[in-house]
Amino acid sequence: MNVEVSDLTRKLGRTQAVAGVTMATGPGVFGLLGPNGAGKTSLLRMMATVLPPSSGRIRLLGRDPGDYGQRKQIRRRLGYLPQNLGYYPRFTVVEFVEYFALLKEMPPARVHHAVAATVERVGLGDKAKAKLRTLSGGMLRRVGIAQAIVNEPELLLLDEPTAGLDPEQRVTFRALLRDLGQHATVIVSTHLVEDVGAACSQVGLMNRGKLVFQGTPGELTARAEGTSAAGDSPLERGYSAMLAQARS
Amino acid sequence: MIGGHEVTDDRGGPTVPGPVPGDVDLGRVWLGVAAQVWRRSPGPLERLATRVLRSPGLARALVTTPSLLLGWVVATMVVLVAGALATRGTGTPFVALLAPGVAAAGIAYGYGPGIDPAWELSCSMAVSDRMVLLVRALAVFGLNAVLGLAASAASGAATAVTFGWLVPMAAVCALALATATVAQSANVGVAAGVAGWVIMVLSGQAAAGRLAAAVTDTALVLPYLAFAACCAVIVLVATRIPRGMS
Repeated sequence: MNVEVSDLTRKLGRTQAVAGVTMATGPGVFGLLGPNGAGKTSLLRMMATVLPPSSGRIRLLGRDPGDYGQRKQIRRRLGYLPQNLGYYPRFTVVEFVEYFALLKEMPPARVHHAVAATVERVGLGDKAKAKLRTLSGGMLRRVGIAQAIVNEPELLLLDEPTAGLDPEQRVTFRALLRDLGQHATVIVSTHLVEDVGAACSQVGLMNRGKLVFQGTPGELTARAEGTSAAGDSPLERGYSAMLAQARS
Repeated sequence: MIGGHEVTDDRGGPTVPGPVPGDVDLGRVWLGVAAQVWRRSPGPLERLATRVLRSPGLARALVTTPSLLLGWVVATMVVLVAGALATRGTGTPFVALLAPGVAAAGIAYGYGPGIDPAWELSCSMAVSDRMVLLVRALAVFGLNAVLGLAASAASGAATAVTFGWLVPMAAVCALALATATVAQSANVGVAAGVAGWVIMVLSGQAAAGRLAAAVTDTALVLPYLAFAACCAVIVLVATRIPRGMS
């Protein structure tokens, strides 16, 4: 298992953002669903080693992120796209991706080729030398995805990756996700149920800091059977039914 | 993508027929070309930092230091030059009195949420965020020291004034950094650093009757250093990730 989490909690001020999450997942695409404020971002930030847990146990890629040396090894193999991607407006696309490739301690000899390949992979070849301040929101999101995958991560954490992407870009992105999930563990936090249905082999549903469901998209869909849950697709109805059950 | 015997320009250009052998992977060739065309040439400062720090990532993090941006450097120089001129006119070491406050602001604005746009992303990188913090702090410190040296050389009292400001500057910067780290706010850090220094200067004047007592009284050197060490420990504790998570 590449991600093993047990009784993980995190308090942010007086708010219990994550309240005892236990989960484990290996290679493949894991969709993390839930309403706003459910704790998805806090859980992802803990997995990204950005936010220390208040209590509980976490192992990433078989290593302990609490140990300095092991945390460094995890981070070399990690890709992370935060919900709010901060960027340097005067950097070009290539400079930005290269900067984070260097901070991930990729071998300098490999960096230029990896950056070029990644920029092409996210469809920004014609904007490679454009300043970030000139890009649209969707393009910036793709720049964020590029920096996350430039090191071919074994663990890829994406927080709302499709926010700002147009429908065509989202379809392309889902294909990219499936491709990445063949070798890496990809955890995608989203509130767009259709993203999960199209790209994820496993899905988790969070509500009020707890993981209230973990299974396949098919199993989540089945939760709607015999209920009058709202939704435009079977998966959405399963999501609504599970959420209603958790809240009752 | 480019490949096979016919090359399609995927940027909307015309289709280019060409006598390309089937075993040539044009996609790979293009990536090789793109890698060379797009590669960025680091400036002299970054090349030097790469050599000294032995880390291209750390060197790049250093040259993106917000408080090293040109506007900040100019503002720092203006403050210190004005201080030097005032020193010449009055005999009071204004450079030494101003430098700790200026450096504290530079340190607090060198790193952190809301200051470094990509701070959260940087925190998930293999190059330790503590190292980035340390290197940026040293850079701000070094820059202010060089500017201060130049200013004090102009006023003719370089050695005494340099030691007079470097030690208190370390303490005030450490206070600003510790407060900024604990409060997660650079503004709070700057306020704490500057306020602490003003209190120190005014209490020096009250005790010794001289405005410059805070930078000229040698009995204060050890307390300053001890205070700086305490603040450094606070920064280390505040930025640690606890063990025992697995």
